[in-house]
Amino acid sequence: MSSNPSPAPPAARRRRRLDPTTPGLLSLPLAWLALFFLVPIGFVGAYSIDALSLYPGAHALTLAGWHDLVHGSVYLRLFWKSVEMSLIVSGVVVLCAYPLAYYLALSGTKRKYVLLLILIAPFLTSYLLRVLAWKVILGDHGVINSFLAWTGIRDPDHPLSQLLYSRFAVMLVLAYVWLPFVALPIFVSLDTLDRRLLEAASDLGASRLQAFRKITLPLSLPGVVAAFLFVFIPTVGEFVTPSLVGGTGGFMYGNEIVDLFGNALDWRTGSVLSLFLLGVVAALTLIFSRFLQVQRVTAS
Amino acid sequence: MEIALSKNGKRTLRGFFALVIVFLYAPIAILIVFSFNNSDLPTFPLSGFTLRWYRDFLSNADLAAALETSAIVAVLSSLGAVLLGTLASLALARRRFRGKAAISALLLSPLVIPYVVFGISLLLFFHAAGIPLSILTIVVGHMVISLPYTILVLLPRLEQIDGSLEEAARDLGAGRLRTFRSIVLPLILPAVVSAFLIALTASFDEYAVASFVVGTRTTFPIYLYGALRFPSRLPEVIAVAVIVMTASLLVCIGAELGRRAAERRLGGLESPAPS
Repeated sequence: MSSNPSPAPPAARRRRRLDPTTPGLLSLPLAWLALFFLVPIGFVGAYSIDALSLYPGAHALTLAGWHDLVHGSVYLRLFWKSVEMSLIVSGVVVLCAYPLAYYLALSGTKRKYVLLLILIAPFLTSYLLRVLAWKVILGDHGVINSFLAWTGIRDPDHPLSQLLYSRFAVMLVLAYVWLPFVALPIFVSLDTLDRRLLEAASDLGASRLQAFRKITLPLSLPGVVAAFLFVFIPTVGEFVTPSLVGGTGGFMYGNEIVDLFGNALDWRTGSVLSLFLLGVVAALTLIFSRFLQVQRVTAS
Repeated sequence: MEIALSKNGKRTLRGFFALVIVFLYAPIAILIVFSFNNSDLPTFPLSGFTLRWYRDFLSNADLAAALETSAIVAVLSSLGAVLLGTLASLALARRRFRGKAAISALLLSPLVIPYVVFGISLLLFFHAAGIPLSILTIVVGHMVISLPYTILVLLPRLEQIDGSLEEAARDLGAGRLRTFRSIVLPLILPAVVSAFLIALTASFDEYAVASFVVGTRTTFPIYLYGALRFPSRLPEVIAVAVIVMTASLLVCIGAELGRRAAERRLGGLESPAPS
């Protein structure tokens, strides 16, 4: 190939036109996603306007389900409650994870990757089993209450009953579940930080706090935003944890969707609520992905 | 002067790190302790050591059936997801085509869909299409969920490999399939195995989507969920929990270490890092 006088390398020329095997590579994955991902979401849309219905007979298309969501306060109030719980969990988790990631990335410890693995390992174990652990710990006859009774700190007939089946329990378990994972994106953003910037700041007389506020924090912000969304997006639609440790106080928007499809057999309202949640998450993801790409451009 | 952290700051952060590790591992340790506790309820004081719960779980037919179902679902869905993921990653890494950004966004979008919404979508779809719920409907759902994870593992690996190796093979007369089998596949094999194991553990642990499209044969997470809501045999469930946790942890860590070792061995064939 070295005798080829053409300025364009052969690889670049070969790639200019659409390779005939590209559709062959892409058709199977895309067809799978179209059939079992996009089309099913379309069915939810059809149920939300009564184009399809659980009940037989002719139906007129209706936006009544959407009207109910927007004008009735029940579902929206539940949605905001879930958003609020999710925001608190994401905020607390990010605030806890930041110093952990900071310690691993910037303290100069030699075993940072080992420590990072130890931190993340619980995330790799079963989700349900970690919830189970908290059920065993928080229950009326659980570890905490039986321990308090055993040591005589508290009367066994009056356990701390608000520990389990409450908003608090849901948020505690969600924070426990997501904390290990969230440290990762923050760690990456801190670990790739150019140390020379900090040295320069120091040479120019900046204090540690100034250097942190003017350099470290702004440069690690993309990781923080990513971490926040990595928790917020899955927890806002969460239904498994609240149904196991939430009771009525910890009931979330996702539980309402499950109830509408299960016990209530109101598929239209359930579909409306599902699509609304999907829309919110999709909007967040779009804003977020643009944010990420901008960061990647500025980084390179 | 160390600008990032003062001595005291470092000490404080180290203490905080240790505290968090205790917070993360204490619940798991408590599960392990109570799996050996000779009492029907997980309460203090501890009442003696027993292996009863581990023995009981071995003779629990429902549990064994659920574990078997989950194993089948996990293997089938991971094989499927890795196949789809490999095809998609090859196209994304090696080919140029219009709408690449949109297609890659679509391929990764199952990462962010709320599982309750996806589970219900699949349920409505199977209902409308008249497809009865079975093991296969769970496999279908898990393939969709695992596909982006396999791409996230395979794509960076493919991008690391020097494309001129494939061009050399093609120039020497190898067909596309031969090039893939002899050059690309051996180089990405560690990543393929790693993607398979990640999909495997994700599927084995997946409750939310499976709960909507499960047929008559329950998977392990669905069995576990039932046992958690009505805890009549809690210590037995805890014993299984300990075994499954240990196994999944070993698989994940093993996969990561194995992948790193294999890629280090193949390191010489990578394209030089961009400066």
